[in-house]
Amino acid sequence: MEVTDAAVVAQVLAGDRDAFRVLVERHSRSIFRVVYRMTGNQQDSEELVQETFLRAYKSLERFELRANFSTWLYRIAVNRTLDFLNARKTQMQTKDMYQIADNPDHEEGNQVQVPADSPGPDRLLLSAEMKRKIAGALGLLTPAERVAFTMRHMEGRSIEEISQALDLKVSAAKNSVFRAVQKLRHQLEPYTSPGSPSRHARWGGSAVK
Amino acid sequence: MNHLSEEQIVLHYYGDAEEAAEVERHLAACVECRAEFARVQSMLRQIEPLEAPEPLPGFEQKTWLNVRDRLPDKGGFFRRLLGPQQKWIFAGVMALLLAAAFMAGRFWPRPEQPLARKAEPVNSQRVVLVAVGDHLERSQMLLVEIMNADAKGPIDLSSEQAEARDLLDSNHLYRVSAQQAGDPQVAPLLDQLGRVLAEIANGPSEVSPQDLQQVRHSIQSEGLLFKVRVVGSEVNSRARRPEPVSGGNVNQRL
Repeated sequence: MEVTDAAVVAQVLAGDRDAFRVLVERHSRSIFRVVYRMTGNQQDSEELVQETFLRAYKSLERFELRANFSTWLYRIAVNRTLDFLNARKTQMQTKDMYQIADNPDHEEGNQVQVPADSPGPDRLLLSAEMKRKIAGALGLLTPAERVAFTMRHMEGRSIEEISQALDLKVSAAKNSVFRAVQKLRHQLEPYTSPGSPSRHARWGGSAVK
Repeated sequence: MNHLSEEQIVLHYYGDAEEAAEVERHLAACVECRAEFARVQSMLRQIEPLEAPEPLPGFEQKTWLNVRDRLPDKGGFFRRLLGPQQKWIFAGVMALLLAAAFMAGRFWPRPEQPLARKAEPVNSQRVVLVAVGDHLERSQMLLVEIMNADAKGPIDLSSEQAEARDLLDSNHLYRVSAQQAGDPQVAPLLDQLGRVLAEIANGPSEVSPQDLQQVRHSIQSEGLLFKVRVVGSEVNSRARRPEPVSGGNVNQRL
């Protein structure tokens, strides 16, 4: 029978440092996937996985044995990744990282028309182009928006989980997700819904009452 | 009629809008909001989860080896002995003892210190330098042995592993000291050396030529052997440098 995570944690806390290996081997792959979705870079993600485990080890006393270890570890990974993205953003502020225009509404004649019918080489090319645009648009989000959006949209985490992981109020977590989607719409809707501009874009992004 | 706000529409897509039933009723009745919702839906559906590449085989093992060498010691004797409540009491007692020692030191009559004792910190620095120099020399010999091992058929690395394990423990101590001393040269080198020593110490004792090649690749990466030689000789020459006559430079780098 497999030893539970809580039992392994207790073993480590009792002084058996090498027992921590079981936790690393059990969870490193899933943490890697989570971190990769947020950073989009393999090498950065591998280093963040190591740092997540180091941080977990250092604060293992604060882990409550009745809690779920993978959820706790996930929160550490998200926080560490957020710190990393914030630091990277500061480094990159002077660089023009992404090539998507600030206002794609003005990119007339440059819109990608995605045909609805069968896939072919053209469609595959367009799909690759779309992926590039999505990656670029995600790159324009603030670190907190990116992490909140990834958690909600890609990982299917609840707003409560996001607020706990990022130490935000529920309303702030909702707002982060909303602001992320709003920015993505601004960048991507000209390509995903060509010819039918959003009423929010038309009216300067304000809600209609 | 009031339309739904953009926030309500976006949050409704994820099922997070407040008064969801009301939003639902509005969408059923309002063509404009329905069209807006469809646009949001169409855009978000195109954003698929980013597929993470599958990490290389042995990813877990590599992660562990890198983490292991950096883990601080946990669960020392006192830590295991004391629960969270007792820890505070223990801390209080220690603080009282410290205060008592400080007061005793202030008011206790002190004999004159001989001048020669002032040079003691410099001597202890020198001892550490000599030990680090010796450590780097031993590490260099081990790395050279592995680089020159005959790579035909299965290779027995058990003696090299024992040596690597031995070096790994002292490497950890020296690395921590070098980090605390803020040594920009020795600390990163010991960090890099620790990873390679961990790889040797934790690998199988009998390796194939391919495995040996991988270990050699780790040694060669970032010029580890060269750095060990250069820094080792620099540390040895620092250890041999004549001491200042009085006072000394206590903050001398490791």
